[in-house]
Amino acid sequence: MTHIIEVKQLKKSFDELEVLKGVSFDIQAGEVIAVIGPSGSGKSTMLRSLIHLEEVTGGTIRLLGQGLVEDGRYASGKDIRTITDRMGMVFQHFNLFPHLTVRANLELAPKTLKKDTTAGIRKRSMELLDKVGLLDKADVYPANLSGGQKQRVAIARALMMQPDILLFDEPTSALDPELTGEVLRVIKQLAQENMTMIIVTHEMGFACEVSDRVFFMDKGEIAEVGTPEQLFGNPQRERTRLFLQREKLEE
Amino acid sequence: MSWDYIFTVLPPMLKGAQTTILMFLAVIVLSVPLGFGVTLLMRSRVKPLAWLAHTYVYVMRGTPLLLQVLFFCFGLPLLPVIGEYLVFDRFISAAIAFVLNYAAYFAEIFRGGLLSIDKGQQEAAQVLGLSKWQTMTKVIVPQMIRVVLPTTANEAITLVKDTALLYAVAVPELLYFAQTAVNRDMRLVPFFLAAIVYLLMTLVLTIAFKALEKRYSFK
Repeated sequence: MTHIIEVKQLKKSFDELEVLKGVSFDIQAGEVIAVIGPSGSGKSTMLRSLIHLEEVTGGTIRLLGQGLVEDGRYASGKDIRTITDRMGMVFQHFNLFPHLTVRANLELAPKTLKKDTTAGIRKRSMELLDKVGLLDKADVYPANLSGGQKQRVAIARALMMQPDILLFDEPTSALDPELTGEVLRVIKQLAQENMTMIIVTHEMGFACEVSDRVFFMDKGEIAEVGTPEQLFGNPQRERTRLFLQREKLEE
Repeated sequence: MSWDYIFTVLPPMLKGAQTTILMFLAVIVLSVPLGFGVTLLMRSRVKPLAWLAHTYVYVMRGTPLLLQVLFFCFGLPLLPVIGEYLVFDRFISAAIAFVLNYAAYFAEIFRGGLLSIDKGQQEAAQVLGLSKWQTMTKVIVPQMIRVVLPTTANEAITLVKDTALLYAVAVPELLYFAQTAVNRDMRLVPFFLAAIVYLLMTLVLTIAFKALEKRYSFK
């Protein structure tokens, strides 16, 4: 069984501060991983390292068998782009392009990079907007959308590039509670379609429901890994238990 | 005040206004791109380049425009050895001074505009696979334009009035002809006419920039 993502001994420091202290894991194609843990535990940094938004200081990342970093040494700029092009990312704050309509947000990258004919790109953008339930918003600017709608556009925009892996960095943390449902539904649908996904999240219920495995990160390491049943039902480590208790109290 | 008088003094003034407009257009067309280039240099990772760009902006903003215009018209030819090759038409010399001066202001305006754009925009473009250049032209600059339009409009209006500095180096423009007429005829009318022509020019600019702002509102 080959792994779509292989990470070994990932290390990252900002000056004196060690954010990742040797993170290792493998992910299979089609798996959905939820990453939970207290803030400052390195979840986002780990995720951002995978798509080269952060440069790690050591370790190995291989995506679809190709080395993005091997033992702290990065591939060439061109190879890095080929490798990271296989991934899409959805951000906490959506990061939609405010100067473009919803449709133009979806079509900018494929058009600029000439991924397809204009007609093909147009067809795909309409299909994806339909899929996230926003066909009627195609010609609207992001300023006129709710947070939940913005995040659904951001997901559709990431899907335009036909990634093999989708990364979510706290996709619902910036949303009003009543708007998280519509975004989580779209992610759940992608899970059913066997998209490989890594989701950094604070939504414990959603993590439990959607993921195949849960990574609990604490202080720059993956402290515990398990199926949702194991990790939420019977956590093995004390710090996992403490974290889950605290989360429960907040809900 | 008679209409006859207005019709006698107005034609030369309007001719002078052409010089004013020509200067304005030349400076805008050249100093905006030059200013953006300086902005990029100021942000360069090559420290000496960034330092050079910052020094340039400091000098151009820190000395009077009139001094710069006088320097380029009358100072450059006095330079040893190369001076004799630096004698240009006065209009050209003054235009160079204006362009260099306004580029420095635009560079600072554009730098502020770039600073105001969220880092997430660049990250979103990067994960979608856009190159640095594509990100700059398709994502960052269009958003920067919206941010800098009001201040750029302000600079453009200031520039219209600054062209009157050409008077000091005897390039005949709108104010020059007005002043000549006032001296010759001992009447105030030419000053008012000049003011009206300046106001008309700034009115056109104000309307044009309002339209641009509307186009760049992204609503």
